[in-house]
Amino acid sequence: MRRNNSLYLCILLPVIALLVVFPYFCDSPFYLRIATEIIMWIGLAITWDLLAGYTGYLNFGHAMFFGIGAYATGILMKHAGWPFLLTLPVGGLLAALTALIIGVPTLRLKGAYFAIGTWSLALAVQQVALVLNITGGPDGMRLPIFLNPRYFYFWMLGIVSGTFILYWILLEKSPFGLKVKAIREDQDSAMALGLNPTRIKTQAFVLSTGPVGLLGSIYAYWITFIDPLSTLGDILTDQAVVMAVFGGLGTLIGPAIGAVIIFAFKTAFWAYLSDYQVLYLIILGAAISLTVVFLPNGLWGTLIGYTNGGSVLKKSNRSGIQGLG
Amino acid sequence: MSEPILKVEAIVKNFGGLCAVNSVSFEIKPGEIVGLIGPNGAGKTTLFNVISGYHTPTEGKVFFKGKEVTGFRPYQLAELGIGRTFQVVKPFRGLTVLENVIIASFARHPKRRPAEEHAWKMLKFTGLDSQAAKSASSLTLAGLKRLELSKALALEPTLLLLDEVVAGLNPSEADKTIELILKIREKGISILIVEHIMRVIMNISDRVVVLNFGKQIALGRPTEVAGDPVVIQAYLGEEAA
Repeated sequence: MRRNNSLYLCILLPVIALLVVFPYFCDSPFYLRIATEIIMWIGLAITWDLLAGYTGYLNFGHAMFFGIGAYATGILMKHAGWPFLLTLPVGGLLAALTALIIGVPTLRLKGAYFAIGTWSLALAVQQVALVLNITGGPDGMRLPIFLNPRYFYFWMLGIVSGTFILYWILLEKSPFGLKVKAIREDQDSAMALGLNPTRIKTQAFVLSTGPVGLLGSIYAYWITFIDPLSTLGDILTDQAVVMAVFGGLGTLIGPAIGAVIIFAFKTAFWAYLSDYQVLYLIILGAAISLTVVFLPNGLWGTLIGYTNGGSVLKKSNRSGIQGLG
Repeated sequence: MSEPILKVEAIVKNFGGLCAVNSVSFEIKPGEIVGLIGPNGAGKTTLFNVISGYHTPTEGKVFFKGKEVTGFRPYQLAELGIGRTFQVVKPFRGLTVLENVIIASFARHPKRRPAEEHAWKMLKFTGLDSQAAKSASSLTLAGLKRLELSKALALEPTLLLLDEVVAGLNPSEADKTIELILKIREKGISILIVEHIMRVIMNISDRVVVLNFGKQIALGRPTEVAGDPVVIQAYLGEEAA
């Protein structure tokens, strides 16, 4: 069951190369837009997997970081006249900073409580966006128009491939990956071996959310219109979760595949069954319930026999060290 | 240098109204094996947890190599050179035996390759090298206890806290473990060992601390302690004393 890393590289590099030349073979803005969105969802799924599959923490406020990036770009471009490229790092940094701050109270919570804590914080951020004037409130805000599908395709591709490669190096090659898994498997044991759980969890949290902020920034300028529902809503988080779980937690590749499949399904649904949009959500809900029960290692995880990424789904809410003895 | 490697001074640990450890004081000299015994519920594991940083004592101090470490977190103590095993083994089940020990090796060897080499050395020392590629969840209890030991040793500690490493093993596995403990002592590592199996403790300890209901009731060489009427009473009840 040992994974052959050079085999993965042999497959990954051609795939990225293909993705890079894709726009030059396909001129249709429609397909380019679809490709851009798939890539964005791959990014959302793999970033969620870093914290959930590898570290064992379920972040149900994932959308919050996306929205922070989106609104950072929106506000800076519209109200302060900044060029897009300058707003991009701001979006990422603000998202990372937010993770740093909310990590302090939330990362010490166990299991379900971390999920509830992050979920409610995301709702709070959404509320803030709904009431402030500078965000445009419930009507959202329009950004300066820039119609260039290729530009956004390459930015999305660049950020997501960069994130994927960074994660791959950090999680599969460097000590960080093993340390993070140690925390996931048994935090008390990890502490006895010299690992500082708070520091490692915070690092994972920041690594998981910074890129999401960048994706949000790109999204804002790309779609030109953002509002609290599309950028800060639960539906964003939930889809990323389904993609990651369905694909296979703890593998990076699994969530990427999950994103492609679920998004393809979503697009087909939108194209042929747009009268029954609500059915899409119901099916999504059924998908994740069935996956967690029958296929907890996800599609890819089951294929390669990797049974540990899904451990966060199966593990009971154990409290810490045993007491008197 | 005859400064004690570990000194616990009047340690008290309360959990709300329950006094689990009621003023325990002793020292461990470098290279010593000190046994910690007592009936169930005596407070041994709580004391262990205080010494290894999982609980902060309500009162009292802990000194390691002369420096006060009261209240230090477990990972800080691991860094300083205190390793421990857990009574209920805590392997990283989702990882291989080798990966388990590699993680422990990061403490002294931050880079992957040296850590891996060091992990192999540890596994050879404890006899687990043939099972290095197996998942930790597939080991027997004896293997898991040995893995626990390998991880603690990978820290290159100067003080090793062993919590019931022999309990649950059959006699031949137990003997192998005792051999291992003595080999560890030969490397110059001091040991504090909790064990219920009397013949183990009495045979390998230089000195023994006895707890009962959180109180320290005896401290001395194994033969002295074994004959102490207070100790006998604690284990066997009033009539036997």
